[in-house]
Amino acid sequence: MNRSNIWVRIMVVGILIVTAAVLGQIRRWQAKPVPNIEVVQTGTQKPKTVTRNVQDAEPEVLVRFRPGVKLADIKKIAARNNDRVEDKFEYIKGWVAIDDLDGADMEAVAQQYEAMTNLVEYVDINSIIRLEEPVPVATTRDLVHRERDSNIPNDPEFGEQWALSNMGQNGGKTGADLSALKAWSKTKGSREVVVAVLDTGVDYMHADLAANMWKRPDNVPQYIDEELGTFNDLRGYDANVNESDPMDENGHGTHCSGIVGAEGNNNLGVAGINWKVEIMPLKFLGRGGFGSTKDAIEAINYAIDRKQKGVNLRVISASWGSTQNSKALEDAIRAAGEQGILFVAAAGNSSTDNDKRPHYPSNYDLPNVISVAALDRTDSLASFSNFGVKTVHVAAPGREIVSTWLNDQFREASGTSMATPYVSGVAALILAAEPDMSVEKLRERIIKSVDKVDSLNGKILSGGRLNAAKALGN
Amino acid sequence: MGFTKESAVERAKQDLAGRLKISESDITEGDVSNVEFPDMSLGAPASGEMSAQMISTGWRINLNAKGKDYEYRADKYQLRLKGADGSNHVIVS
Repeated sequence: MNRSNIWVRIMVVGILIVTAAVLGQIRRWQAKPVPNIEVVQTGTQKPKTVTRNVQDAEPEVLVRFRPGVKLADIKKIAARNNDRVEDKFEYIKGWVAIDDLDGADMEAVAQQYEAMTNLVEYVDINSIIRLEEPVPVATTRDLVHRERDSNIPNDPEFGEQWALSNMGQNGGKTGADLSALKAWSKTKGSREVVVAVLDTGVDYMHADLAANMWKRPDNVPQYIDEELGTFNDLRGYDANVNESDPMDENGHGTHCSGIVGAEGNNNLGVAGINWKVEIMPLKFLGRGGFGSTKDAIEAINYAIDRKQKGVNLRVISASWGSTQNSKALEDAIRAAGEQGILFVAAAGNSSTDNDKRPHYPSNYDLPNVISVAALDRTDSLASFSNFGVKTVHVAAPGREIVSTWLNDQFREASGTSMATPYVSGVAALILAAEPDMSVEKLRERIIKSVDKVDSLNGKILSGGRLNAAKALGN
Repeated sequence: MGFTKESAVERAKQDLAGRLKISESDITEGDVSNVEFPDMSLGAPASGEMSAQMISTGWRINLNAKGKDYEYRADKYQLRLKGADGSNHVIVS
């Protein structure tokens, strides 16, 4: 590029910035300020006193500037419009939160930045982090703004899903999440990947899950157990009572399934870490949420059979356990590993050290087992979570997790049960992008791509929180 | 069936009376409290049992008979006796 072109570009950018600022200010003059708190703004202009309303203390809009627009220029634009850059999102390239300082309403602020078409790609009103008022399903904002960013799902409870996008809501720590938005720029999952949720069954009729439920393909034969007979396993398997209907009577398995793969961007409920996936319900825990080791083995046996018959079952999510060891269960999990199936297991909720007081199946030292601890929204190890620097591998969000529940409901729950399906779900995301990855590499990728977290140092093997984007190489 | 706190206490008394072969009137009801248990076996897994690792709410029921304390645990689905004779027992599920 020659020197004269550089100067022409610099002049064009300068003119655009000044024009955008003036345009915005003209629009802003129409807004009526509500005096309340005084904020002294500093910057390239003379310091001046502006006013803001307490209720407007959150940033009004999220703005994605075009590539090449530097943060310093963004701050200048904001300052000239009597705004400030409240936050720059580390996981969402180009996005900043703009805080209006003179009492204009959100729409006016949004329109102001939307007018800067040469500098701005997207503008999103910041309702999604106002958790006291969950975003309604069909607002104008959803229709006009959200559809333009394919990585922010329109699921109305998404703002409550701090595990996927922690913007400090409800006292959380900004960025203490799975970097889901960044991960979704690479893949949102695939219906080619099957995750078995080995649990209390799944409410496969749930409106936010139905599209992502596994159904036995026509080319896969019915399940035959030599002792128990033939099962028309259209939707999975119930090893608790040995029948083909894995309907959930408890809710736990349905909750875990929503974490793995509640349908994303369907204007309903929550988003799974996979927007698209196939969830196979494997039921062995009964209505009360407990079951026998034998039934767990029976269900794993079913999973292996289905894999051998051609189902691309790559992950078993196991949000359960106890301190009772079972060699048979260990062998069943090993056999699953030999079929290329990752086994993700909850570390347990007794606040104890699994190195000293083993918890199973998470403690089985097998090349296909990942043991999962739980974090809260401040990146602290959840008070209930087990740990173990030798035996617990990764941590994932597990407190105050909103997901699907029985009868089309949604509810919050806590436990390493909730952390586990996040790891299972990220495994499925990786496999969506790299279908041929071996189970050993898959496990290694998940453990080695964590974000190091101070509270986990010396507590768990990886010392870190699951990061979906890094696991995908993003 | 679905337990309430009251019906769980009654059922626990029936169980203990049967075990000790005494009248329910010989059982003293201690503290009955709402509790968060670490898992869905209410922190009292029976032999060979696995349970969902979700924090769950229920009741801790303390009873006394023949000079000895007994701890029952219950939620809407189940009643357990914790630590009797060194093991946990599922009474109703």
